Amino acid sequence: MAGIWILGENRELTGELLTAGGELAAATGEKISVLLWKDRSGAEAYFALGADEILVLPELPEDVPPEALIPVITGEAKTSHPGLILLPATVRGREMAARVAAGLGTGLCSDAVAVRWNGERKTFEMERLAYGGMAVQKVVFRTAPAMATIPPRTFAPAQAKEGRTGTVRELPGPPPSPVTVVERKKRERTARDLREARIIVCAGRGIEKQEDLRIARELAEALGGEIACTRPLSEEYHWLPEDLCIGLSGISVKPELYIGLGVSGQVQHITGIRDAKVIAAVNKDENAPIFQTADLGIVGDLYGVVPNLIQEIRKAGGQ
Amino acid sequence: MPQMIACFKWVVDEAYIRVGASGDLDMNAVDYKISDYDKNALEEAARIREQAGGSVTAVTVGVPEATKGVKDALSRGAEKAFFIQDPSFRDLDPSQTARILAAVIQSRIPYDLILCGEGSSDLYARQVGPQLAELLGIPCLSFVQKLTVEGDRVVAERRTDEGQEVCTAPMPVLVTVLPDINTPRIPSVRDTLMASKKEVVPVRKEDLPDISSPFLETVSMKGTSLKRSGTRFTEDPGDVKAFVDTLLQKGVLK
Repeated sequence: MAGIWILGENRELTGELLTAGGELAAATGEKISVLLWKDRSGAEAYFALGADEILVLPELPEDVPPEALIPVITGEAKTSHPGLILLPATVRGREMAARVAAGLGTGLCSDAVAVRWNGERKTFEMERLAYGGMAVQKVVFRTAPAMATIPPRTFAPAQAKEGRTGTVRELPGPPPSPVTVVERKKRERTARDLREARIIVCAGRGIEKQEDLRIARELAEALGGEIACTRPLSEEYHWLPEDLCIGLSGISVKPELYIGLGVSGQVQHITGIRDAKVIAAVNKDENAPIFQTADLGIVGDLYGVVPNLIQEIRKAGGQ
Repeated sequence: MPQMIACFKWVVDEAYIRVGASGDLDMNAVDYKISDYDKNALEEAARIREQAGGSVTAVTVGVPEATKGVKDALSRGAEKAFFIQDPSFRDLDPSQTARILAAVIQSRIPYDLILCGEGSSDLYARQVGPQLAELLGIPCLSFVQKLTVEGDRVVAERRTDEGQEVCTAPMPVLVTVLPDINTPRIPSVRDTLMASKKEVVPVRKEDLPDISSPFLETVSMKGTSLKRSGTRFTEDPGDVKAFVDTLLQKGVLK
């Protein structure tokens, strides 16, 4: 094995992966290389955060997607033989990881939530969720390098240490890309980051019309919380932006209080709220699975219940 | 007119999995389904054929029991299916699935456009599509929300972490689709009857190069308990008040 590679996409994600990589570097005695493939600014700062080497990938023209760099990354890996490659489980990170793994003929653990070095067996052990979050799958690698994508915020950002230095090396340019970017549209972030929210009111399919989201908004307002939704509301109906979609394919949240309104409670959604302190639900279907995974629930029609609920909350707040 | 391949996986319907007391997954009462997002891949291929012509071949790797899934796929618009089967193909790692698909597609199925779902409902590793593209040496457009075929190219709207990206690539190309790209059809009785008459090409393990060893080995699969106490209240005003009082006691209201 020759080193741990981190391909972090941006500063924040690189910082988190350096925490994961740092623990493994300590366990294995390996050096850490940070590959900069998108945000190349302030390369030197990564030395303080634990990098021993910075590999800078060339800047690409506007109409070339970052995936064009995959052959360069794969080529360099074939020369310098890293033992472990970590990427963020973002849209780009996932595709890049899968294609680099295929190019190297090696295994990749998607969405690793735990990474360890097993010194006895001389292999990395990782854990990930499977079956919509119902199960934890533990994997080991039979090939090298070991590869993983790690969801954002799985690890805390690395802490800077003074006096660390390292080397910077530039990697060659990529071959021509068959894919051309015609247009990029930036998504307006309309909402606050739900991952920081203390109270979340989540709208589910039990909300019948888009204008009825008002009910969820009013409850959120009464509680001083934020509104969120399940996947169908953002993906199928487009009532709310994707940033507000909670679940395995959306975001994971850890509020003090989560209240689901007309949320049935499919496992993929519940996986996104498993770290909530209190899970509450309002649903007219007494057999809705959410009641199994909630701390408390009201079996009733949300259209009738929520106005009463708001009234009681206001009264409680006034006490 | 594009020759299309839509890949799909026949998976356990996770809604039927129970977690036993010891944390083992109880699969005794499970049902199976075509992986949710693979239905979107099949639908997108059928939709493009309806608009631009061409052909759709469905391909799957699985255990012999997945024959039900093959019929289901054929009722969703594909004219023909390749069924790569072996009893040992139950818990393949993503690299094995991608390598098997690549070997079969390369040697047996002409194509311009390969469609895959974003990821499977069981493992949701989201690797097979991009890996298959890499192994075939063709461009890959992943996480696509909107797709059009224009002459010998495709134009795709991808979802990225920052927003959207419109990309174009020459065929042959592989595209992985997000669920919001379309609404999969519900096969009619006629579709189901017609499906039985369509051609299924069987491919067996003996016909493939040796892809028996996984790169990633699953050492355990343990159920997690998401269960909570589940105190229930009715919609009576008194109960709604009790519900709010409970939240106050738990200290989660401001």
